[in-house]
Amino acid sequence: MLRSLLPFSLLLLTTGCGDAPAAAANAGTPSAPAAGIGPTIYVALDEQFSRPLLDRFAKELQLDLTQRHDTEASKTVGLVSALTEERGNPRASVFWCNEIAQVAKLAQMGILAPYDSPAAADVPAQWKDPEHRWTGFAARARILIVNTTLLPDPASWPRSYKDLVDPKWKGRCAVAKPVRGTTLTHFAALRHVLGEAAFDAFVDGMFANDVKFLGGNGATMRAVRDGQLPWAFTDTDDYHVAMKNGHQVACVFPDQEEGGLGTMLIPNAVGLVAGGPDQAGAKKLIDAILGRETEALLAAADSAQIPLRSGIPGPKDPAIKGLGAFRAMVWDFAKVGMDLNRCDAAFNKRWHE
Amino acid sequence: MNAPARIDFATRAPLWAALAFMAVFVFVPLLQLAGQTLWSPSGFTLEAWSQLAGDVTLLKQLGATLQLGLAATLLSLLLGGGHAWLTIGRDLPAAALLAPLGIAPLVLPPIFVAMGFAEVFPADGFWPCALLLGTAHAPFVAVLAVRGLRAVDGRAYEAALLLRGRGRAEGWLLRAIAPELLAGCLLAFLFTIADHGVPEFLTVKGKTWHTYAEGIFGRWTRRATGTTFAELQSPIVAALPFIAALGCLLWAALRLRAQAPDRGVVRPLPLRPLGAFRWPALLLPIAYLGAGVVLPLVVLGRWVLGSAQKREPMSLDYAQQSFAKAIDQGLPDLLHSVWLALAVAAMVVLLALPLARGAARRWPLLDLLAALPAALPAILLGIALIRAFHDGPVLRQFGERFDQSWAFAACAYAARFLPFAALTLSSLARRQSLAAEEAGRFVPRAPFVRALRLHLQPLLPAAWSAWVLTFVLALRELDLAVVLPAANATAVRRLANAVHFQHEDWSGVIALLLLSIALLVPLLPSLLAGRKLTSLS
Repeated sequence: MLRSLLPFSLLLLTTGCGDAPAAAANAGTPSAPAAGIGPTIYVALDEQFSRPLLDRFAKELQLDLTQRHDTEASKTVGLVSALTEERGNPRASVFWCNEIAQVAKLAQMGILAPYDSPAAADVPAQWKDPEHRWTGFAARARILIVNTTLLPDPASWPRSYKDLVDPKWKGRCAVAKPVRGTTLTHFAALRHVLGEAAFDAFVDGMFANDVKFLGGNGATMRAVRDGQLPWAFTDTDDYHVAMKNGHQVACVFPDQEEGGLGTMLIPNAVGLVAGGPDQAGAKKLIDAILGRETEALLAAADSAQIPLRSGIPGPKDPAIKGLGAFRAMVWDFAKVGMDLNRCDAAFNKRWHE
Repeated sequence: MNAPARIDFATRAPLWAALAFMAVFVFVPLLQLAGQTLWSPSGFTLEAWSQLAGDVTLLKQLGATLQLGLAATLLSLLLGGGHAWLTIGRDLPAAALLAPLGIAPLVLPPIFVAMGFAEVFPADGFWPCALLLGTAHAPFVAVLAVRGLRAVDGRAYEAALLLRGRGRAEGWLLRAIAPELLAGCLLAFLFTIADHGVPEFLTVKGKTWHTYAEGIFGRWTRRATGTTFAELQSPIVAALPFIAALGCLLWAALRLRAQAPDRGVVRPLPLRPLGAFRWPALLLPIAYLGAGVVLPLVVLGRWVLGSAQKREPMSLDYAQQSFAKAIDQGLPDLLHSVWLALAVAAMVVLLALPLARGAARRWPLLDLLAALPAALPAILLGIALIRAFHDGPVLRQFGERFDQSWAFAACAYAARFLPFAALTLSSLARRQSLAAEEAGRFVPRAPFVRALRLHLQPLLPAAWSAWVLTFVLALRELDLAVVLPAANATAVRRLANAVHFQHEDWSGVIALLLLSIALLVPLLPSLLAGRKLTSLS
């Protein structure tokens, strides 16, 4: 029996070994293209949203594109670490990040090179680096997700980040640990906007109020979606997929009152990596990513991102407001980016990560 | 004078090649990783070592990991050992059918078991985590216990029964299979404490405490963003004695298994009546297989039918949509996984054969060396490999982008799974007849032909088992897939990510396809040659 199996096994193995890279290349997997031929993009936007778009761009532009996506475990921080480590010998040509402060930080470290993409001509200046090292587009908002079964009356819904420290919600609300992802950026920005003393008091208040600090925005969304908690902080994309899947959830853009802090917007940003492979191909790719169509597609997709340019249709879900329809929190990407490492270290200590 | 030297070289070349592979993909990366704990950007320092004692977070993670390992292993012993105990030589209803199914949960990646548990129970606490990891790793105990029970001579049991009564005979039987049980428990313990994917998945689901492997990965991802040299290195410092201890444990486990007495021709155990417990005893195999196989499969099946969304009821129409999405979104990853697993299994067997022969015939210490990668958390092995091939002064000569290539991923996987094949094969090689080999030296054939016909032939059944085991383990590997860029495109890694973003529908399809492939390969001998299913266990 074994003799009869051996040739079959060897044949299987031989074909397996010989054709594997080719098969992977045909399948468009990130590791497939031969090294050094085309550009390489590091992508922090969720893979299921970004990969189809990038596959399409690569085909249209005839680029031999290598994609490397982040993982849920490491989030954006993993790719930022890789880019920082590789700065002497860059392997990425383009960085597409869904946390603009991280990109601003990399720009200040000299890891990104200037490129004034013609496709970004109509992106408002506030979303672009004055030195053209990065350009913002398609944003997510930091919102409150509310379980409408537990809180059927909209009048009872939380309205502000301050509700996290309101004794009324003691032990009944959640936010992700601010050690990675958009929550790290959010809390770093809050520290800047509120000032260190007020921010520290706010953090102490959250601990005193028994806020549930969970592993990520997905976890906070699930806790609310599944009825374990009445509300939590999360991102619009997490809320949107839960809502689209038919769960009883609503979305609150927080801090909209007169004089309020406003809702935080976290745009995507794309930048050219200095000295990365195939700079010409990389620039073509950046032009494609910054096209108006990309923002429209990201708004229409499950991620429901908010376009930053006027005239582009926003998400179909009316709960996700378009730019100008709500008070946006004002925060300085560059300053927060500069302070991100310090905040990261401090938050990791505070949250015992 | 030169001819014997040439012959000797030709015979030993495969062993040297295997040792070179281990040096390049295991020892040098680990030594470099250890060395880096002593070299900060400003030179030699013991800072990372001295910080270890005061690193409360790390010590907590180590404590939690050990507790989790012990609890999960205890559950593995109860479920896997209990399954074997009740289905071999017992009058349990459907025992003949249930016995070979003891290995079935091994085919399911632990992350799938976790997905199943998390869907039904709140899985963020300590005991749910221990229960699901204990279930996922119980097949190690089950399979080895079955082997132990089959190796016991029924005549000896009958003698004990006649002389000392049922209770003492059962005690004697338990002692007789103790080496196999212990070996299975140690394997379950190692796999549990080394696991990163499942604890991380549960963290994203709401778990608020962390394991040691999570700590290593968490700090590594922040290596260039807000962590100090000492903070980054201290988990690795802690890992070094930990790994050494685990390596010794694994070696001991597999040696125990290998040294379990070869009792020659044995008569099977007599049918031992369960008496009044005959039907109630069925609960244990049902609970084990229910938690380890049925629950994950039902949850995955329900996902395919649309259970994760509330817009419309579950239906076959929805399943068709799920399938279409899976082809569009996940098929490339599935193909990538299969090619990778096929290549890895082939590499591992080719490398393990000379290592096993070397360990069995000349250098028993090779067993210990070969065991090392299995004692490491895969996350740490991945980090060591990336550092060595990315920054290492020697290994980066493989090429600037080798560490991002498909070949690198295959080599890393092979390094990870080599111990299981090498140690399995070496235990069999030790049982081969030395006299036959010595006689074979007088046959006037080339060394290669002699090796192929004389040495390889008796090892083929074990080589096939090792190939299958490696193939299945490579298909389900998540931790290396997360760390290595080239392995990011594997199906298990993609599924773990996709589920976070509520894409359960097409993820379920890919998971079920992956399981079908993982099942098909071990079943091939039975399907092609009509072997009984009992051969699986």
